[in-house]
Amino acid sequence: MAKDKKQIRIALRNCGFINPENIDEYIARDGYQALGKALEMTPEEVIDEIKKSGLRGRGGGGFPTGLKWELTRKVEAEQKYVVCNADEGDPGAFMDRSILEGDPHTVLEAMAINGYCTGASKGLIYIRAEYPLAIERLKIAIGQAREYGLLGDKIFGKDFSFDIELRYGAGAFVCGEETALIHSMEGLRGEPTVKPPFPSESGYKGAPTNVNNVETYANIPVILLKGSGWFASIGTEKSKGTKVFALAGKVNNVGLIEVPMGTTLREVIFDIGGGIKSGKKFKAVQTGGPSGGCLTEKHLDIPIDYDNLIASGSMMGSGGMIVMDEDDCMVSVAKFYLDFTVEESCGKCAPCRLGNKRLYEILDTITQGKGTEDDLFKLRNLGNVIKDTSLCGLGQTSPNPVLSTMENFYDEYLAHVKDHKCPAGQCKALMSYIINPDACVGCTLCARVCPVDAISGEKKMPHVIDQSICIKCGACFEKCKFGAIFIE
Amino acid sequence: MKTIYINNNKYNFEGEPTILEVVREKAGDIIPVICHHNTLEPHGSCRICSVDVALQKDGPRKVMASCHTPASDGMHIFTDSERVVKLRKNIAELVLSDYPEDKTEAAKNKLPTEFQRLLERLGVYKTRYNAKETHTDQEKDTLHPYIKSDLSQCIRCYRCVRACDEIQGKFILNIYGRGYDNRIIKDSDSSFTDSECVSCGACVQACPTGAIYDLYESKIQPYDKIVHTVCTYCGVGCNLEVRVKDGKIMGIEAPDDAEVNAAHTCIKGRYAFEFYNHPDRLTTPLIKKNGRQVPVSWDEAYDHIANKLNKIKEQYGPDAIGGISSSRCTNEENYLMQKFMRAVVGTNNIDGCARVCHAPTAYGMQKAFGTGAATNSITDLEHTDCILVIGANPTSAHPVTGSKIKQQAMKGKTLIVIDPVKTELAEIADYHLQLRPGTNIALLNMFAYYLIKNDLLDHEFIKNRTTGFEEFKEQILKVNIDEYERITTVDKHLVEKAAEAFAKAGNAMSFHGLGVTEHYTGSRTVMLLANISMFTGNIGRKGVGVNPLRGQNNVQGAADMGVQPHQGAGYLDVNDPEIQKYYKEKYGIETIPEKEGLKIPEMFDGAINKTVKAMWIMGEDVMQTDPNTQHVRKALEGLDFLVVQELFPTETSKMADVVLPAASFFEKEGTFTNGERRIQKVNKVVEPIEGTKADGQIMVDIMNRMGYPQKGYSADVLLREIADVVPFFAGVTWENLGTNGLQWPVTKDGKDTKILHSKEFKIGKGQIHFFDFEETPELIDNRDKYPFILTTGRNLEHYNSGTMTRRTPNKDVLTEDNLWINPADAKKKGIKTGDRVRLISARGETYIKAFVTDKVKEGVLRSTFHFPEVSINNLTGDIGDIETLTPEYKVVAVDVVAGG
Ligand SMILES: Cc1cc2nc3c(=O)[nH]c(=O)nc-3n(C[C@H](O)[C@H](O)[C@H](O)COP(=O)(O)O)c2cc1C
Ligand code: SF4
Ligand code: SF4
Ligand code: SF4
Ligand code: SF4
Ligand code: SF4
Ligand code: FES
Repeated sequence: MAKDKKQIRIALRNCGFINPENIDEYIARDGYQALGKALEMTPEEVIDEIKKSGLRGRGGGGFPTGLKWELTRKVEAEQKYVVCNADEGDPGAFMDRSILEGDPHTVLEAMAINGYCTGASKGLIYIRAEYPLAIERLKIAIGQAREYGLLGDKIFGKDFSFDIELRYGAGAFVCGEETALIHSMEGLRGEPTVKPPFPSESGYKGAPTNVNNVETYANIPVILLKGSGWFASIGTEKSKGTKVFALAGKVNNVGLIEVPMGTTLREVIFDIGGGIKSGKKFKAVQTGGPSGGCLTEKHLDIPIDYDNLIASGSMMGSGGMIVMDEDDCMVSVAKFYLDFTVEESCGKCAPCRLGNKRLYEILDTITQGKGTEDDLFKLRNLGNVIKDTSLCGLGQTSPNPVLSTMENFYDEYLAHVKDHKCPAGQCKALMSYIINPDACVGCTLCARVCPVDAISGEKKMPHVIDQSICIKCGACFEKCKFGAIFIE
Repeated sequence: MKTIYINNNKYNFEGEPTILEVVREKAGDIIPVICHHNTLEPHGSCRICSVDVALQKDGPRKVMASCHTPASDGMHIFTDSERVVKLRKNIAELVLSDYPEDKTEAAKNKLPTEFQRLLERLGVYKTRYNAKETHTDQEKDTLHPYIKSDLSQCIRCYRCVRACDEIQGKFILNIYGRGYDNRIIKDSDSSFTDSECVSCGACVQACPTGAIYDLYESKIQPYDKIVHTVCTYCGVGCNLEVRVKDGKIMGIEAPDDAEVNAAHTCIKGRYAFEFYNHPDRLTTPLIKKNGRQVPVSWDEAYDHIANKLNKIKEQYGPDAIGGISSSRCTNEENYLMQKFMRAVVGTNNIDGCARVCHAPTAYGMQKAFGTGAATNSITDLEHTDCILVIGANPTSAHPVTGSKIKQQAMKGKTLIVIDPVKTELAEIADYHLQLRPGTNIALLNMFAYYLIKNDLLDHEFIKNRTTGFEEFKEQILKVNIDEYERITTVDKHLVEKAAEAFAKAGNAMSFHGLGVTEHYTGSRTVMLLANISMFTGNIGRKGVGVNPLRGQNNVQGAADMGVQPHQGAGYLDVNDPEIQKYYKEKYGIETIPEKEGLKIPEMFDGAINKTVKAMWIMGEDVMQTDPNTQHVRKALEGLDFLVVQELFPTETSKMADVVLPAASFFEKEGTFTNGERRIQKVNKVVEPIEGTKADGQIMVDIMNRMGYPQKGYSADVLLREIADVVPFFAGVTWENLGTNGLQWPVTKDGKDTKILHSKEFKIGKGQIHFFDFEETPELIDNRDKYPFILTTGRNLEHYNSGTMTRRTPNKDVLTEDNLWINPADAKKKGIKTGDRVRLISARGETYIKAFVTDKVKEGVLRSTFHFPEVSINNLTGDIGDIETLTPEYKVVAVDVVAGG
């Protein structure tokens, strides 16, 4: 946990404070009281509280949670399901895992409340198999909750029965998308299907299904206990409460933070994150996971919320936040993320399956120094095609890293394709190692370490590097004691 | 009423269509698509159909895929805004970035594929997005006789996968891998040949590129015309679109809008057409002279026939002559055949192959309901909640209907299968009541017992619409249910549960096949089946009823036309004086035969004891398909005179005194009536090959030759005559049949009937009958010596004796008959899969290859009968249905011995 100034703990309120394997400790901190309270209310009243709190989905979409519950409630069906999305596929994100490991009961309690509100008697937690500790803790928690009568038949002696089972995900990013997640739970191919029908109408096994994210659930008990008014007093006009971020990259303090909506990026990076490492210059911050956008200096004072992030060309996503400094090449950054989306595209729809691959290939060409200005046009064009036409959220957002870096760092792209230079000095193919003849004493050390014999010269005479042979391994640069070798 | 604006034009619409559907309806085909197909669920994978959408006038526009986005009230749709036009082109270019460069335009002398037409429509032939990595070097899969793939051309629209899932229900095609490297595989990455593919061709028809194609490259063959006709291979009655060029068939597809079979056929309908110009076709009349059949002219043949028949008639009377008509022929031809026998020869000795299949259905259902035909339509499957399949293996014998049943079962509708064999449907059924062959009566009585005992009845229906219930109830409550359990070998609790599921379903529908009828107690089983539907009130509305799966394509029609010895055209009793008068008037003749004629087995018996002297067989290979081959041979040898009309030389035609070369269904016009009473047009696809004539023309010629003035063979003219004679055809004309046909009864004003008995039965009240179980004499007499029960069935790939299908590449798909035997029996007998084994019955023996499987229970064997090498009918006996004499093909006492 990063430094505690400017932070408010709602979702993470119990993490680190209780023994997650002991239900009594959870109960001692007001655990399951919200469920008890909810069962004294009508489902409509509970939903109304959630609606008034302004809570929006923390899984990335930001859909109003109360409204989603209401929609699921309104569909008539004998069997309904409540699902917890614990797939957390964003590389580097671990807020959901932390909640499940540190406070599993809060999710169980919230799911039961959700079941009560929507009319579902069955809950399913879709959790990635790579989270063994979280799975273990959930199993223990479910066992204890059943023992205490907090799951099972006639909870709190009321006419309400609810139980929870675990379902395991195989780790595909797109399986976090709710329709893909449902298909995966059904044993079908984990790929998204068109909406409508939305899961609230026809989800798991065709039954109305309410899918919410782990962090979304973690907010529910608090809202019911402290009141929607209290919750709604935190945050911005359209985004209430707090958000957990996984702060990473070139900042001094990395880790999970929970800040009120409306906190600025500057506060997060410089106050909580303690500024950029090694005194380097801040260059960009990527929010929203692999398909979020890169924001710059000019965005630092924007209050973080769902809508502002989208307006700036990025998104909230599930809360990834990666800080970059002057040494990061933005073309390479875009390529890095594209590599991820190409890997993770399910391949169902043409723009995402083909388009991202082509985007990646073009970025690769550019970082190889073989790009042209026409490639930049293609990047932008393709990016928009993919964004406008893809079937699911993955494709609709996957070009964000390219489009936002092009928007904010166009010169850097131009440098790659026009001057064939990488200003950050990251694209190897675009670098040349050059020996300064004035500084070179002709010690022959470099020539001896060069693995491809690219360096020639008489002893005691300045050496030269044959650029057509050099593979840019940097060995000579490291070896030279006289600082005679520089990178261009 | 909702409003939508399409390119600023205002339209009203109703219901919940997608944007694409509304736009197509209101403004025509202005949105290009490629992954979408009308016969498949929306998928949304190609995004070519993207349109700009604003939720209100001048509101912000968003790109949406029109094929799956619902149209909503007040939407403004822009189908060709600059943005969407550009987006579509870009997507097409992306697709081309991983597509063979030389396949963007039609191949030489071929028509363009759907994808090539799309490229042309979008004006895109090249891509700006050059790929570093492509998938255009996939290995072709060309080993299967019909279905082939060149997946280098695959554009990942997944139509093939969806066609196999949603239309055929076989789940052969899958997507393997993810993202950019995903690809289409067959089963777990095998080939069409090694997969469980049933060669229905639905995937071929669905594929918009050349990635999955067939032997004939059906979809890209240039053609002079496309002729709409009806399949000749089974009672489903699939509509076919046949491509013809220079008088030759180039390929067959299923119409996308056919009510019977939208975009679907089975292997036979789509691919088994090459028999039509096979060199084996008979092309000249033959007369047997000095023991050899020699070619003669038509005139000589006709004269010879007329002379002979007249002589026999003079000498022995008309009843010494018998006729067998064909369910493969058209209604018009069947009508003519029976009219020839009755009005020209002067005998009621006319019968058809329904005798060997569905005569008990006609009889039993007439007894129960008054009408011997399916009560409902196949489309009703969409409205039913529970499907009972008894004695039928529709996924093989009625494949298109079989698929529909399977689809519904997979959607969660209750499926009950009563069958001794674990059929494909039984495998997915909620209840499989795997009874011992020959015990249908016992099982249905158990079913009825639980309906009554557990009060799962529709009392209202029973009271108002049936008679005989109280008597039935009294009898059934007396039966010994444990004894039935022992006889059927089916757990009574399972039957109880199935009965409950059937009764509690809102709508329950039954289907039955030859496993019901081809038994000693076939007709009675049909009546008991009718009972079950009446007890539960499942008659007279959508999604219910009793529905026979008709064997041959026109069994229904042949019976309708009067091809049976006791009823003339329109099921009117021949021994009723009023009716005799009616027919005399209609046919314009002075005398008409008055007593019921002979059924097929009786004709054969007559031939053997010399009371029957001459027979005329139209398109039936009785030597192959009728039971007890030795007996049939003796009968035919005993005749003085035998005329056979055929396409190919057959075992039967070889014995004929006169052979007349007939034309196939591709070469003539007329109508077929499918198993749901649907009268459909058969159009002439190609001219008859030289030397042949339509069976109907032959009948007309001979009628005239024998002095009866019958107008020339034309479907139009004959239908008018039939409409005048057959009451339930009253409103049928060639013109008003349209492409989807009409379901009889068709009233004078041309209205047809989807559902029978909705208000009352033709005979007033439904008749409830009780029959107790009776063991077939076949087993009583023979089981000591022949302890196994052999039951026969059909495979998907072949049609009956295979005269047609074995003359097509279907022979390479399925090459031989085999015998299923339970592993325990096989072990006892020392038999392994692939062994040749000897099968012996009280009549004869044959050799066949064994296939060890638990799809049959111990003591039961199952085989097909498509190949003459294995003449299963050497084994079958003379026992027939008590009421109709339909032979008991489904129960033969045999023994099996290892080693051939
Ligand atoms: C490609 C993709 C991946 C997603 N991955 C996740 C995920 O890992 N966890 C999650 O909670 N939601 C994920 N979502 C969002 C879900 O589809 C869904 O909106 C969410 O689970 C709803 O819960 P919420 O309303 O509580 O946010 C993903 C969406 C997309 C398009
Ligand atoms: S956008 Fe990508 S991940 Fe989503 S459905 Fe299309 S191919 Fe699959
Ligand atoms: S960078 Fe490596 S390859 Fe190039 S000259 Fe130096 S040592 Fe040789
Ligand atoms: S031919 Fe029919 S069964 Fe075979 S793969 Fe194609 S759709 Fe499936
Ligand atoms: S094989 Fe044909 S139908 Fe199947 S995905 Fe490829 S292009 Fe589409
Ligand atoms: S054989 Fe039957 S199911 Fe097959 S195509 Fe012909 S009519 Fe259709
Ligand atoms: S036609 Fe609509 S997405 Fe393919």
